[in-house]
Amino acid sequence: CPQELTFLTKQEILIAHKRFSELVPKEERDQILSARVPKDKVVTLPELRANPFQHRICRVFSTADVGDDSLSFEDFLDMLSVFSDAATSEIKSHYAFRIFDFDDDGTLDRKDLENLVNCLTGDADGTRLSTSEMDQLIQNILEESDIDKDGTINLSEFQHVISRSPDFASSFKIVL
Amino acid sequence: MDRHWEEETGSKWAAGTWGHQPPSALFHQLPSNATLRFRGDKALAWGAVLGEWAPQGIPQAWGSEGSKEEVAADMETIALQQLPLCMAEKRRHRLQAQKQAGQHTRWQQWQAGQQRLRRKVGSILLHTQLWRSSLTCIEGHFGTGIEAYFNFLRFLVLLNLVGALLIGGFVVAPSITFEALRLNQTERANLTANSPCMGYDPNPRGLVSYFTYVMDLLSGTGFMELTYLFYGYYQNSVVDVVGFSYNISLAYLLAVLCYFLLCLAWIVHRSVHLLKRGLVSEDGALSTYSIKVFAGWDFGLTQPPAAIWKHNSIRYELKLDLEEEASRRAMAQRSPAQRAWLYTLRSLINLLVVALLGVAFYCIYLATEYSQSTLSQQSVAQSKSKAFWELLVSYLPSIVITGANLVVPMAFGVLVRLEQYPFSQEIKLTLVRSVFLRLASLVVLLVSLWMQITCHGQTEAFDCRTCGYNHRHFPCWETRVGQEMYKLLVFDLLTMLLVTLLVEFPRKILVSHGPALLARLWGQQEFLVPANVLDLVYGQTVCWVGASFCPLLPLLNTLKYILLFYLKKLTLFSNCRPGDRTFRASSSNFFFLLVLLLGLAISWVPALYSIFALPPSQACGPFRAEPSMWNAALLAIDGLPELARGFFYFVGSLGFIVPLLLLLCIFLFYLMALADSYSRLVKELKMQLQLEGRDKVFLVNQITELS
Repeated sequence: CPQELTFLTKQEILIAHKRFSELVPKEERDQILSARVPKDKVVTLPELRANPFQHRICRVFSTADVGDDSLSFEDFLDMLSVFSDAATSEIKSHYAFRIFDFDDDGTLDRKDLENLVNCLTGDADGTRLSTSEMDQLIQNILEESDIDKDGTINLSEFQHVISRSPDFASSFKIVL
Repeated sequence: MDRHWEEETGSKWAAGTWGHQPPSALFHQLPSNATLRFRGDKALAWGAVLGEWAPQGIPQAWGSEGSKEEVAADMETIALQQLPLCMAEKRRHRLQAQKQAGQHTRWQQWQAGQQRLRRKVGSILLHTQLWRSSLTCIEGHFGTGIEAYFNFLRFLVLLNLVGALLIGGFVVAPSITFEALRLNQTERANLTANSPCMGYDPNPRGLVSYFTYVMDLLSGTGFMELTYLFYGYYQNSVVDVVGFSYNISLAYLLAVLCYFLLCLAWIVHRSVHLLKRGLVSEDGALSTYSIKVFAGWDFGLTQPPAAIWKHNSIRYELKLDLEEEASRRAMAQRSPAQRAWLYTLRSLINLLVVALLGVAFYCIYLATEYSQSTLSQQSVAQSKSKAFWELLVSYLPSIVITGANLVVPMAFGVLVRLEQYPFSQEIKLTLVRSVFLRLASLVVLLVSLWMQITCHGQTEAFDCRTCGYNHRHFPCWETRVGQEMYKLLVFDLLTMLLVTLLVEFPRKILVSHGPALLARLWGQQEFLVPANVLDLVYGQTVCWVGASFCPLLPLLNTLKYILLFYLKKLTLFSNCRPGDRTFRASSSNFFFLLVLLLGLAISWVPALYSIFALPPSQACGPFRAEPSMWNAALLAIDGLPELARGFFYFVGSLGFIVPLLLLLCIFLFYLMALADSYSRLVKELKMQLQLEGRDKVFLVNQITELS
């Protein structure tokens, strides 16, 4: 049973099952455990549609071999488990790091941070920060978080910074 | 060779950071960089890494073939949930663990069972939280900052409910049952019936019209005065039925003390885990920018308009912080003359602020004195207008306090802009001043009451000589104090209702259906969290101060806060837009609890002072004819067996308290020295980490060059 493998309660798993089966076309509903939902349908979920990190979330949790970022039911449960109320701060910060690592190279470099800030402020022309502001901001972030001064933020530095923020766990939460 | 390398990389190190990753394929093969260069089920890459990164006892290097035996003993006790892998991998490891299950000792199996039980209980508790769906809905629409306010309100409702049950269960319910069962209550004190201190009869005389009932309900006088609501009604008696003895006065005293201790313990418990993180860092550096960027997005937002608002708010906040930093750098370069002028300006404004506060406090003092002296000489109102006038006079302190709390913070807002502080400091300063105003106005009210009850502290004054307190104006002074607190509570609730109905709803109607100019100038109501929280803390402090004189006050406060929750939720969804500048939920949670603790500390003072120092009224209450309230406890201790009595006397004596204080001081100094050594250690480790980083880059470059 998947209950021991996730932070979700039995009730939450049942709700997740119901919501996932709404995304799956009717023909595949009886084989829901092997069905895969394409990314475009996943981002129509109300919990994800307003999220600027929706594509990164699908990418990180997808176990598809073909790289099309589709989610199976188990991937969906994994995602909900990490975003649940009961998940520990360590696992949340671990997955947050993976979500923010836009180029998937294992560290957050300047380009990743720039992408991250653009996602936060809204990625349209009128809403981005100016170049000088962006540079100053990234400089400040690296000064605060980059302990070994190599110009990038790795997982342990990220987790160290996140541990100082008590409301990270409550903001990194998606409840169906 | 070394010098060549130093020159090449010297400039890069001088800049402090690398401009880009050193161009070496070898770099990407290092274990520390290989952690996340995969996604999905390529968990084999993890195997090499988890050897170094092993939180919470994950065994070394599992996943590689040879070490499955090492996996054995610990697998069951580690929650599989906490492994950052996909489901398929977790299942594989559970199968491995189950193979080893037979080798586990019974201790480990019991541990695993305990963990499962704890998880189940935790999930059940999470689901039965009060108003959980409302809070999630608010969070989805308005973010965690405003949800923090409602969370705080829910906490206060629970706190008051438990307090009400405590006091009700030990004081009110026994009194009611004893009277209902008409049990024989033996009076504990010998009262001289003709003493001048005994003149107390609040029962209304003659024909009482219905509007007097309404006035009495609102001000706690008349028919409401001799009820279980106020202190004066309770008897100083002991009930002795078959083998069961219940001392009402002792129960009252202990219930009040326990209520205060319970509130203190609960609030401290709640704020301890907020204090552990975030505010205590080993080198004093606050990573504000990093936290705002990494923990900035609220993943619970579900509405697209709320998401757009959040984008704007994050951008606004980041821009403001960067601007503030730039202006701070500019300010640091000011000339001494400019700085001197700025400091004189700031001190002048501070004096002005103190003067404003002094004026407000003096008004409150005058209002209280006038109100109390008029009430003491009242006769039964014969006409409606006179009754209304009397109601107004009795509510005069509340009106003045509320008025001062509306007008003076506006003046603060104007003055603080002249002081040219950075924006975030402006907000903090205004907040501190508002908190001081709110709580100090309550203190002034209590002090002016005290001065009237004890004839300005002089026990030899004419009015206070016979009974120790002013028995002519205050035959039952505890009830009078309780009535004042009751009136403050009622007026607070009325004010909130009226403001919502008469200010917020019309504003929304005008702004959305009126002329566009008005909408632009005035704008929609913003839900200001700090101001609302201060209102809550003020109400709770009033409840605490009044709880020792008005046992049903916590219950009334619970009802008031429940009503307030629904009222505020209604006005939030119909009238408000989220604030432009988000309030960081974490620091504000700690700020709320800190101000609440301040309120609790202030409310301890009148309670303890009246228990230990003031003579209780002789005409009413469960402590009549005792020299002090604490005397009831002393008498009870005297009735205990020899050993217990000796223990209590020892604990209360100097011979115990002084060594205890010395021990605590020594412990404090030890902890401070420990913290200092830890922060030095952290600094050294950080330097070492930087050196290791440089070593790594150097070595990788050397290897690339050599190969």
